[in-house]
Amino acid sequence: MLEVIEAILFSTLDYAPALIFAALGAVLSERSGIVNIGVEGMMRVGAFAAAVAALVVPTGAAVGAGMLAGAALASIHAYLSIRWRSDQVVSGMALNLVALAGVTFLLETRYSPTGTPPIAQLQRWTVGGIDGVPLLRALSGHSAMTYLALVVPAVFHLALFRTAAGLRIRAVGEKPLAATTLGISVSRLRYPTVIGGGLLAGLGGAALSTATLDRFEQHMPAGLGFIALAAMVFGRWTPLGAFGAAAFFAGGNALRIGLASSVPRVLEIVPQGFLLALPYLLTLLVLAAQGTKSRAPASLGIPFEAEGK
Amino acid sequence: MGMFPSLFRAALPSLLSIALALLVCFIAIAVSRSDLSIAANAYLQMLWGGLGDVPSFLGSGNWSLLTRAWGESAAKAALLTFTGLAVSVAFCVGLFNIGAQGQMTVGAIVAAVIGAKVALPAGLHPAVAIAGAAGAGALYALLPAVLKVRRGVHEVISTIMLNWVAVSLVENWLVVGPLRATASGDLSRSGTDEILPTAELPRLLGSLSRLNAGFPLAVLSAVGVWFWLNRTSNGFEARAVGLGMEAARTAGIDVRARVYQTMAFAGALAGIAGAVWVLGTEYKFPATLGAPYGFDGIAISLIGQNHPLGVGAAAIFFGVLRAGGTRMQLLGVHKSFPELIQGLALLFVAGRLIWDSVLRRSAKRAVPMAEVPRA
Repeated sequence: MLEVIEAILFSTLDYAPALIFAALGAVLSERSGIVNIGVEGMMRVGAFAAAVAALVVPTGAAVGAGMLAGAALASIHAYLSIRWRSDQVVSGMALNLVALAGVTFLLETRYSPTGTPPIAQLQRWTVGGIDGVPLLRALSGHSAMTYLALVVPAVFHLALFRTAAGLRIRAVGEKPLAATTLGISVSRLRYPTVIGGGLLAGLGGAALSTATLDRFEQHMPAGLGFIALAAMVFGRWTPLGAFGAAAFFAGGNALRIGLASSVPRVLEIVPQGFLLALPYLLTLLVLAAQGTKSRAPASLGIPFEAEGK
Repeated sequence: MGMFPSLFRAALPSLLSIALALLVCFIAIAVSRSDLSIAANAYLQMLWGGLGDVPSFLGSGNWSLLTRAWGESAAKAALLTFTGLAVSVAFCVGLFNIGAQGQMTVGAIVAAVIGAKVALPAGLHPAVAIAGAAGAGALYALLPAVLKVRRGVHEVISTIMLNWVAVSLVENWLVVGPLRATASGDLSRSGTDEILPTAELPRLLGSLSRLNAGFPLAVLSAVGVWFWLNRTSNGFEARAVGLGMEAARTAGIDVRARVYQTMAFAGALAGIAGAVWVLGTEYKFPATLGAPYGFDGIAISLIGQNHPLGVGAAAIFFGVLRAGGTRMQLLGVHKSFPELIQGLALLFVAGRLIWDSVLRRSAKRAVPMAEVPRA
């Protein structure tokens, strides 16, 4: 029994970083008031760029390429939604479609339709001293992504709620006009948050292709970007909340895969489809229960137009 | 001013976006293959693949060279029309229906079940299956509408969640579980049982083409939506709700009823897309929906500027391109390439204020135009 829990914990920690980073990216962008439906697409280009870069440079550096690719896509989103006040849902959805078809095109032209050739996976680290401790040893043997994903949410949370810059970001997402009267430039704040959100989403994608797996596969990230959005909503648009929700969803997924391989009989009673639908159903239930008390930033999705323009 | 110049002006940003997307994608092929002629050839293949191989037809006089392609294009265009309408109808009451994918999925599975498990006479069978799919799609779209009206849940989030709920439950449970094909012992078969021959949508050109009744149905639906919005008081009320809920309420319009009704209507259209796909092309619910037709609907709706006839036109255009994509495969360009063109066109439409400002600037530089009063 202990081994089973350990195995599930281990695979949760392996799989969760992608989800955590993407959810944090969505939080960063949406906290400043810009809807980010394009997370899925940003993850996809991030995963692809990282895998392609890892064919020529060390995998650690290739992760940077994945982040930059996510940021590049996000900067298009930022430019359209901030400079041109485009509909943010439309722009995000368009980027998803472009990333889906564009990466498929590049994959087919350059490599094979199913994926890139295998790359050197990110190095796995052994945490000294806990190797012999039951349960705890599941914490050992992961890539840097996992440990980063355990630290970044807390740092981000503190930065958002305890620093002046964080206060500005939240102010711009809630009451941009009031922020402007205090001398804060709304667009100068929103560009870095949206692009930073892309960096994080790209990092999430890169985690998939360089740490969880050892290549880019055609269907990546297969809807994970939308689970990340669910985690953001479920976590009430806070970094720690999103982290908790993402970890919870990742754990549920590891449990499902674990059950499928070790006790397949359980899945005859509770079909996989139900377990797959669970994160989305839970998010819907939470939303329905919260109703209008939902914690979405007040000015989310509303293009901001400074007066006198 | 006649009707056409103003229509042209309204469509201009979309047309320019499509042109720019075609250009960018052309360059993408040329650069990635470092060969201009491959790009030109690929576009030509896409055109012949979608419209029919005109040169070979002129050489041989064999009509099936054309009709076969028309059938594929029309099948794609029909799906894009229905999902595109599903998005633009919801826009009428100010709701962004990201959920066409899920509504189409539940519609398709209902159509597949009615088509395979219910015995009905040939004329009636497809009609019942389509009605069932429309009902399922409508109910599935009512959910986010109710959540929005009663609980204030934003429809973009709820429809995204419902998409994945539908996909998970249908593709990962029903299709691999209770509804898995039983007819043959062949284990390699995937998807549900094949529908009965009585449920198949009639083919319009017999063996010449797979062109089926789905396409005329889609065209009729687009015209029907246009009629509803522009010629009925009910449609007028729906548009009034979309333009301003408070104002509509003050004017005595039952806002809640119009939102529910319109969203159900939108879901029904997406559900019919699922039915047309099952009854006209696949003859069963295969393992997966395969293409993100519901998301494509967002692109088609916005490129068609949320006008039912614009949606129809955009759907036919991209239906032709996407049917032609299959032929690009011969040149090593993935068959989903037209989806890239479509996605980029949507991206450029999203930046429509850019077009507006560019067009305004160029209009100023030219002869100053008399301002046409807006109707």
